[in-house]
Amino acid sequence: MKLTVTVNGIERNFAYQPHESLKAVLRREGYYSVRFGSETGETGAAAVLLDGRLVSAEILLAAQADGHAVDTVEALAPGRGFDPIQEAFIVTGAIQSGYSTPAMILAAKALLARNPDPTEEEVRDVLTGILDRETGYLRPVQAILRAAAVLRGDEVEPVEAWLVSALTGPEVEGPTDLTRPLSDIPMGAPLVIPSPEVPETNVVGKPERKVDAIKLAKGRPAFTDDIEMRGMLYAKMLYSPHAHAHIVGIDDSRARELPGVHAVLHHENTERVRYASGGQSYPNPLPYDQVSFDNKVRFVGDRVAVVAADSIEIAEEAVGLIDVTYEVLPAVFDELEAITGDAPVIHDEDDMDGAHDAARNIVHHMEAEVGDVAAGFKKAHRVFENTYRVHQVQQCPIEPHIAIAYLDSDERLVIRTSTQVPFHVRRMVAPLLGLPVKQIRVIKPRIGGGFGAKQEMLIEDVVGHLALATGRPVRLELTREEEFMSSRTRHPQTITYQTGVSKDGLLVSQSMRIVGNTGAYGTHALTVQQVSGLRGLSSYNSPNKRFDCDVAYTNIPVPGAYRGYGAPQALFALESHMEDIAVELGMDPLEFRRQNWTKVGDPLDIATRLGEGASDMEVVPVITSSGLEECVAQGERAIGWHRRSDPEWIAPPDRPHIRRGIGFAMCMHGTAIPGLDMGAASIKINDDGSFNLLIGATDLGTGADTVLAQMAAEVLGVPLEDIVVYAADTDMTPFDVGAYASSTTYVSGMAVKKAADEVRRQITERAALMLDLDSAGEVDLADRRAFAADGKAVGLDEIALHSLHQDQQHQIMATASYVSPESPPPYAAQFAEVEVDIETGQVTVKALVMAVDCGVPINPITSAGQVEGGMIQALGYGHCEEMAYDQAGRMVNPRFGPYKIYRADEIPRIEAYLVQTMEKSGPFGAKAIAEIPKDGVAPAIRNAIGNAAGTWIDQLPFTPERVFNALQST
Amino acid sequence: MATIRSYHRPQSIQDALELMARTDVDATILAGGTVVNGRPEQDPIDVVDLQELGLDGIEPAGDHLEIGAMVRLSDLAESYFIPALLGELAIREAPNTLRNAATVGGTVAAADPESELLAGLLAFEATVSVAQSIGTQIVPLHSLLADRSQLGLGIITSVTIAVGGDATAERTGRTPADRPIVMAVGRRAEDGSFLVALTGVDTTPVLLGTGDLGGLRPVADFRGSAQYRMELARILTSRVKARLGEDA
Repeated sequence: MKLTVTVNGIERNFAYQPHESLKAVLRREGYYSVRFGSETGETGAAAVLLDGRLVSAEILLAAQADGHAVDTVEALAPGRGFDPIQEAFIVTGAIQSGYSTPAMILAAKALLARNPDPTEEEVRDVLTGILDRETGYLRPVQAILRAAAVLRGDEVEPVEAWLVSALTGPEVEGPTDLTRPLSDIPMGAPLVIPSPEVPETNVVGKPERKVDAIKLAKGRPAFTDDIEMRGMLYAKMLYSPHAHAHIVGIDDSRARELPGVHAVLHHENTERVRYASGGQSYPNPLPYDQVSFDNKVRFVGDRVAVVAADSIEIAEEAVGLIDVTYEVLPAVFDELEAITGDAPVIHDEDDMDGAHDAARNIVHHMEAEVGDVAAGFKKAHRVFENTYRVHQVQQCPIEPHIAIAYLDSDERLVIRTSTQVPFHVRRMVAPLLGLPVKQIRVIKPRIGGGFGAKQEMLIEDVVGHLALATGRPVRLELTREEEFMSSRTRHPQTITYQTGVSKDGLLVSQSMRIVGNTGAYGTHALTVQQVSGLRGLSSYNSPNKRFDCDVAYTNIPVPGAYRGYGAPQALFALESHMEDIAVELGMDPLEFRRQNWTKVGDPLDIATRLGEGASDMEVVPVITSSGLEECVAQGERAIGWHRRSDPEWIAPPDRPHIRRGIGFAMCMHGTAIPGLDMGAASIKINDDGSFNLLIGATDLGTGADTVLAQMAAEVLGVPLEDIVVYAADTDMTPFDVGAYASSTTYVSGMAVKKAADEVRRQITERAALMLDLDSAGEVDLADRRAFAADGKAVGLDEIALHSLHQDQQHQIMATASYVSPESPPPYAAQFAEVEVDIETGQVTVKALVMAVDCGVPINPITSAGQVEGGMIQALGYGHCEEMAYDQAGRMVNPRFGPYKIYRADEIPRIEAYLVQTMEKSGPFGAKAIAEIPKDGVAPAIRNAIGNAAGTWIDQLPFTPERVFNALQST
Repeated sequence: MATIRSYHRPQSIQDALELMARTDVDATILAGGTVVNGRPEQDPIDVVDLQELGLDGIEPAGDHLEIGAMVRLSDLAESYFIPALLGELAIREAPNTLRNAATVGGTVAAADPESELLAGLLAFEATVSVAQSIGTQIVPLHSLLADRSQLGLGIITSVTIAVGGDATAERTGRTPADRPIVMAVGRRAEDGSFLVALTGVDTTPVLLGTGDLGGLRPVADFRGSAQYRMELARILTSRVKARLGEDA
């Protein structure tokens, strides 16, 4: 069948099937900007204009568009250059991964075509159908308003950092008034509190455009699925319908007989090789409790079999034809029940490797102590104890997991995959496939968000097995439901704090007991819980500290890495507990924390007993930089902290069922895993004096490629546009552990800086030769030239040509790698303002303010974007997101909507402040920023609810019925 | 997506009704497609797309307004004639991308128990025109929701509402734009009668003539137990009543 559609102004005839979506047909015809986000259209990643209206092409049948006009982003500035809307998205920092950017740009186009002067509310409404997990919508809204202004012919200012005066420190004279907020903040300007310690730079610290802006703003083929391969097969998994069962029989004969089916794999025909799926450094932490296909299933959504077929429809039909006989077993879902000794044993297989006590479902047991906690409690004036419970949520990258595997012309296996850890994937998948590492190449194209979900070797073994079995390219993309139920999630935990406090409010002893829930498999089970302990016991000084943890196997879908990695769980408990103590003691919650929080020079003593890399740590690390005081002051002013003690504000007389409140949480995170994580970079000069920067680091939308290129440009004295970045490809780029543990800017950045320093040295030597100088030490690089002390200069292009072609020929290039001996913590102050409906329990979050000390932000726009977007993810964690199950362990809300993530028209006021400190161990003074925004929102909301209504809730999330029940019981 | 075996785009109501009556096709009406197309895999269906039938007009008729079944929610929201509250509920019904495709008729047919727009239509005394082979039948919306077999093999062609009176809504949800757990629409009609419609307390949105909450059958889920939903119904109903000057 054929349909006629006018696409981007040109009449086209397309073949189609009645069941095909408009998205499927458009992508087949090469319109790659139209992207998959869900089966039901809520993500809007596939939005197009149908007769000028923004619609979701994944929920429309292609047939419905017959006779209509469709516009995609490919129509905007089809040659070189940008449409004004695209330009606005780039300069405001509205693009992170760029996966849904084409949809947002089309939304803007549709809106501005009928309304050239929209209000912010109208802009937010047009974005309601495009879910964004990355930016918090702040910058996309600003981009559209800016584009409107440009298209109207209004003058617009360049987007630059807006410098905010410090409120604390020796340079500040006299008392500061924190009751008057800043006014007239320019739209989109990142707010930076500069430090006098930070030296002047040319490229670093500047709001540079993203180096990948063109491909992302223009919707070019850039992501894993944006590739056409002849003879591609489509894979579909068969997942377990039971939470716990033995597979006693599997008959795939009917599936194999279906025409178009090329392979059916399951435990009977796939080699049993044990592994841990977490993308971590060699040797992967125990346990090795997974195999590609097992004869037992341990959660609803666990792997049973996979089919590869000529089309996804045939593969789906074949999956339905696999007859599996299950012996259903009792299941356990709660971490406390799982470890009692009476629960069903989840890993009872003979070849189980590395669990602490598999018979009691305890995968790990950890203890660590500094000082003597018991003695400390005896000395304490008062001892406080409370238990907190954090729940399970999903990362929800808008691009789900997807991988394509094929054999290249040398019959090497190529895996093109949306991963944060390409080098780990190559090493980890090799034994499962029975191939040496040299026979595998892993390519990471652009990634449509990951947030830790893609710090896994999750589906690469499956496509690898199928490509080897069929000799054909094989593609596997998870549906949204599969992404929820079968990928990775955040660990639920039950956390108990005991804290002894002296008469004057100093902590004297603190213990933290965690029971973590790692679901069916122990991926990241050790390290997430270690980080919980590390973060939960490092933020405040106490001479005696103790950590005690069991990690339980249960029959829930598998937790793993999720941005924050144990810290959001720990800090919810810690910052709730600290608030509770302050309230009990009648102390100001800020002042109580202030006298206990870690400051420059304080030791991070528990770090030597806990956490990855701890065993290599010979000396107790100390805090080397902290801007926390300034963060708190900026946040206090921005949120209007003084209002929280005004009864008239808390209980507005004209709204009798409303109570208002403001809450605070202190946040402290890590920067990279010391002594373990390695990043490497190669830089080489080209004929024109530009440079290729090859990195194994994986930019999952954070702007890492841009930030790393800014560092290279700074060292080499060139503008950012002279750095051509390529990442990441195991055949082409040097090793990097990948994007996790808040390490890329700090560790990979230092590798880039070291490589650039060496290239700079080679350039200065060549310049000395060309300028006839005695010593290269006299040469400086700036403005694409090498200058001698006397002002004589030679261009980098001349240096390149001279070294490559003319005299003593030599490729100016260098490779460097870096492992950090330390992990300097970024600090932050998180504030939240809420309204509580005391009759219904509904909580409305009105404002979130975070001030972060990330050292020196290398790019203030991308840094601000990390904070804004991270806060909104964290808002979902605290407020509305939850994976809900029926009694049989089946998730009942594996769809956006029932699984609620915030959309553009309901975002509270958000402000991010970047408080500079000079972290001497980091490249150009940088510390981490990407994860800390996840840490403080949930406890700040909790404490705000307490301020508003006097009700303190110890369990997430703050959904209406939970709050209602708490209000009833107080 | 749904398993769709064939696609039909009839050019007249008569052609559409004939398709619906055929025994060799399992005809399912396709309005905007945002519900039908997204249904999980089931038995194959044959879809009948109504886009060519001219059912997309909004016509005032005295103190009533006739809304074509294929009027998109975004057009409904922007219509000059629509009562302000219903326009707001049309916006809340779906995000922009889906609102530009979803229709009034499709919303009625889907009968989502959480539909704010349906509750609004109930409070505005909506009646539904259903074209049948024997002629057009007019069915009150609350009656159709209670017994959907009245649709038979017919096609919803329009929804007619009363436009006068004062109306307001109250809701409780996880977030401001979330589908409410329970929502109440109150309306004082021009004749002084008072109507309350609720979502989230039964298998469809329900109309309560007097605001009497007896007889509701709330369905519990992870967002709200039956008891909590009843409590919300009580609180929200009394709030809309108070706001419209009715004795709570």
